[in-house]
Amino acid sequence: MSTHPENQTARALELLDNLKADMSPLKEYKHIGVKGPRRIDGLAKASGQADYTMDVQVPGMLYMRFLMSPYPHAKILKMDTGKAARLAGVRNVLRFDDPEVGKEEIIGKVAGFFGSDRPLSGVAHMEGELVGAAVTADSEAIAEEALALIEIDWEERPFMLDPVAASDPAAPLTFPERYIDGNHWNRGAYDELAHGDVKKGFAAADKVIEFKFSRTANTWVGPERPCGVWKWNGDCPEIWLKHQRVHLPKSRISQWFGGIPMNKIQIHSLYQGASFGGWCQVDWNLGPLWCAALVSKRTGRPVKYIFNRREDFFGGSMDEGVYFVKVGFNKDGSITAVEATLYQVNAIWPVFNPVLHLHDNTTIPHLKGQCKSIWVNKGHTVPTRCEMLPPVLTQTMIFDRVAAELGMDPIELALKNDGAMGHDMAWVNEEKKQRGFQVRDSLKECVEKGKAEFKWDESWHKPGARKLPNGRLHGVGFTWAHEWDDSCGSGEFAIRIERTDGTASLLATGADNGVDAENTYCQIAADEIGLRLEDVHYNPQQYVGFYRMTPDSSTNMSVNGWAVRHAARILKEKILESATGPTALTQRGGYQPAFPDTSPQDLDIQDSHIFLKSDPERRMSLADFVRMAGESGCFSTDEFLGVRTAWSEPLFASSYHVQYGAYNPVNPRPRFCRQAHFMEVEVDTETGEIFVTRIVNVNDVGKAINRMSCEGQQYGGSIMGVSRAKFEEVVHDPVTGVMLNGNLIDYKIATMQDLGPVSTILVETGMGYGPYGLIGVGEDIGTVVPGLMAPAVFNAIGVRIDDFPITPDKILKALGKI
Amino acid sequence: MNKDIKNYACPYCGEKCRSADELKEHVFQAHKGRGLPAPEGSIKLTVNKAEYVIRVAPNWTLYYLIHDKLGLTGTKQFCDQGACGSCTMIVDGKPVLSCMLLAIECGGKVIETVEGIAADGHPLIEAYVNNHAMQCGYCTPGFVVTSKALLDRHPDPTEEEIVEALAGNLCRCSTYPQHPIAVREAAGKMKAAKK
Ligand code: FES
Ligand code: FES
Repeated sequence: MSTHPENQTARALELLDNLKADMSPLKEYKHIGVKGPRRIDGLAKASGQADYTMDVQVPGMLYMRFLMSPYPHAKILKMDTGKAARLAGVRNVLRFDDPEVGKEEIIGKVAGFFGSDRPLSGVAHMEGELVGAAVTADSEAIAEEALALIEIDWEERPFMLDPVAASDPAAPLTFPERYIDGNHWNRGAYDELAHGDVKKGFAAADKVIEFKFSRTANTWVGPERPCGVWKWNGDCPEIWLKHQRVHLPKSRISQWFGGIPMNKIQIHSLYQGASFGGWCQVDWNLGPLWCAALVSKRTGRPVKYIFNRREDFFGGSMDEGVYFVKVGFNKDGSITAVEATLYQVNAIWPVFNPVLHLHDNTTIPHLKGQCKSIWVNKGHTVPTRCEMLPPVLTQTMIFDRVAAELGMDPIELALKNDGAMGHDMAWVNEEKKQRGFQVRDSLKECVEKGKAEFKWDESWHKPGARKLPNGRLHGVGFTWAHEWDDSCGSGEFAIRIERTDGTASLLATGADNGVDAENTYCQIAADEIGLRLEDVHYNPQQYVGFYRMTPDSSTNMSVNGWAVRHAARILKEKILESATGPTALTQRGGYQPAFPDTSPQDLDIQDSHIFLKSDPERRMSLADFVRMAGESGCFSTDEFLGVRTAWSEPLFASSYHVQYGAYNPVNPRPRFCRQAHFMEVEVDTETGEIFVTRIVNVNDVGKAINRMSCEGQQYGGSIMGVSRAKFEEVVHDPVTGVMLNGNLIDYKIATMQDLGPVSTILVETGMGYGPYGLIGVGEDIGTVVPGLMAPAVFNAIGVRIDDFPITPDKILKALGKI
Repeated sequence: MNKDIKNYACPYCGEKCRSADELKEHVFQAHKGRGLPAPEGSIKLTVNKAEYVIRVAPNWTLYYLIHDKLGLTGTKQFCDQGACGSCTMIVDGKPVLSCMLLAIECGGKVIETVEGIAADGHPLIEAYVNNHAMQCGYCTPGFVVTSKALLDRHPDPTEEEIVEALAGNLCRCSTYPQHPIAVREAAGKMKAAKK
């Protein structure tokens, strides 16, 4: 630890302050911001050597499969598992009424985080729910066969699929075990959000409009399905789990079986076939793991479960629901009031209010919004790239409507209402100044760049007014939002300088989700310490040692980026102190300093070499500095032979960062960075098909650390966004409540042929609260772009389609053709 | 009696012997040095230039055989239904969805997986790494294998041809724009190496 008190103080302040600009960015960047550091995971992934939990095989492993409810709401009256248990190759049948199966608290201790009230329930609240029994056998095929032999008497109960109908107090109960006095469940800090007085705002408006829109179920479609393996090593469980936040299950597991000390639990977190939040947001994934743990205890064998593709479809994104909106605005485009209510389907966190974004990024003085989480007989909805979908969708729908009502360019309307927390840009700019940021107009910069790239002025026209020579209708859409990275989160990182070659290992929890975050941490560490990038490597802790903020969401860099930087700065100090003072006392006395008669302030590190600032010729590579004892471990061979060379103390530093972000209700921080997106479509009026011909994404990421990774989130998010807006819909049969398309043939996601070019532009105003002024980008585009299709299609056909996804049948209906 | 004779059929060539001693003698004379005979129901196939003789159950898919039984886990299963291309292998020169092919049908076939392509040092691998043609990486082997099959039959494909060839491969992370760039880069390297 540093002996310089002023450094300590500065560090402590930096650790705690999330509310100001970066007070000490680097003067120059060598690796940060350069295009294309080679992906750390690239070779393993491209050559098929990257292991995922799905690939894991452990000697003696058994396979577990679960019974799925054929009814959307039903109770097991009687269940005979005798035939299944007798099938050759079946090793165990776990039943819902086995005493050790237990209750919900065993899994999560958080009510409502599980599909049912128990890990393996006797009551199903949706078709396909894993209920009743789990069969464990020598192979998945045998387990499946055994499941078919289970005989059950079911009591069928009434079910509901429509959230608005289910919210009627007279509606049958959809989940009577949990919600006894209605299907309405509300919880959380943001479920009602208001500022100003909407009545006043509507009264003051030149015009007030009301409309409704809806979004049907869409889901994550993780390429690797939920899966896990449980193995008991005595009383120390060894677990492989697909989970992007492995520290959460570890903490839950520590409460199982009467309590297992955290340090006896080993969780391997391998590469993850993306989940976009999804399953990892709920402890649902832990129900099967709990069952695997029980059966592993019973059989003395490791047990693996893998969900099948259909099982992965039970649950989805939390924008599913029906939105009722009222907007007041003036002729000049200023929006005076918004009131919005969202009937949200099965949201376990109904806390992301439809007007949340309007609160964060507009001048609108009067706002009122409400989320009503209505329980219907379908799966949970959870943050799925990401929880901001409802407010972002609402913002897009409102701005495009108001612009159309006024015949105004939607970009002008955006600039007119840009602000924060009901305040105008003058207030926002003052805030920027107060918080140490340079004052730039992020939205203006974004739209100017986007307009030029998109050729907006030539492309935008009155709705339904442009027919192309190919007979299709041409349309363009624009939307905007702020950039966000505000989950409360914390991250812990350590960096160690290796003996022998002086390379640096970054140590933190392994939780790769593909965003190349690990490279980004290395870029920061390399620049901060003064190392070559190739000398820094990320070594994930597969046993979930250091806690790390989920590396996949937008909050990654604003939390983990700081943690890496803190650790790197502490380590650099330590290296320089070690280079200037005699360290490592032995029987023969202390070692000579590598740089005698100097102080740490006289030295610096560059290209993995320590050097004297006043005489750069006096330099020593870090490898030489730490070389001794690398190969001989704790024995100093050279010392033994009487040769006295350099020796350094162990060079290791750890640090952390904690962020409340805008989730901090006491001291929220205004948003300064913006994003703007443009979409062009052609609509075939004969078939109703929409062709997305081009997209332009402009994101003010504050400071781009890993450019290719940022761009990957832009085009990746755009394509996923179009896919959600145009194709994605989980369909349930209204008569039986059965899911009809839980597979990738009937549930379409975008392919390489479904989109024209995506142009990606990064703006860097430095106005993010992360290190170097950065702000997250991972979730934004995939979340903002789905809504953008509505304005583009409206501009093409001149008729509103307020029901996502926007499918050809809806277009034809809107055009009066069917 | 006939039944008994059948019991002494040679496991290598099927020749019928009358006794165990006769069978022993026959095997020793005719098949010495040929290794153990393949058990009934075995198939012989070549995977990444190595020969395998393996007994397969009738319900095994080629994916299951290669991934679970041979332990070549580079091939990934995404949809399990012939809809995503992530399980693609090259079978007798053609890209094939291994989740849709029964292993038992693959006797005598020559199979190439992503591991084989990487082991050969194919320029596609480096091109994929350089161009970030991956995010979570789960679908990536399927893309690499499909692209390799394309380059085998068409060493200098246009962007449209690449898009057409890869249109059946799904990537949920939506890395699509990078694939034509990577494939073109690999094609360029192959061309340069030929000159
Ligand atoms: S897993 Fe075979 S095509 Fe999808
Ligand atoms: S890289 Fe994640 S599915 Fe393609």
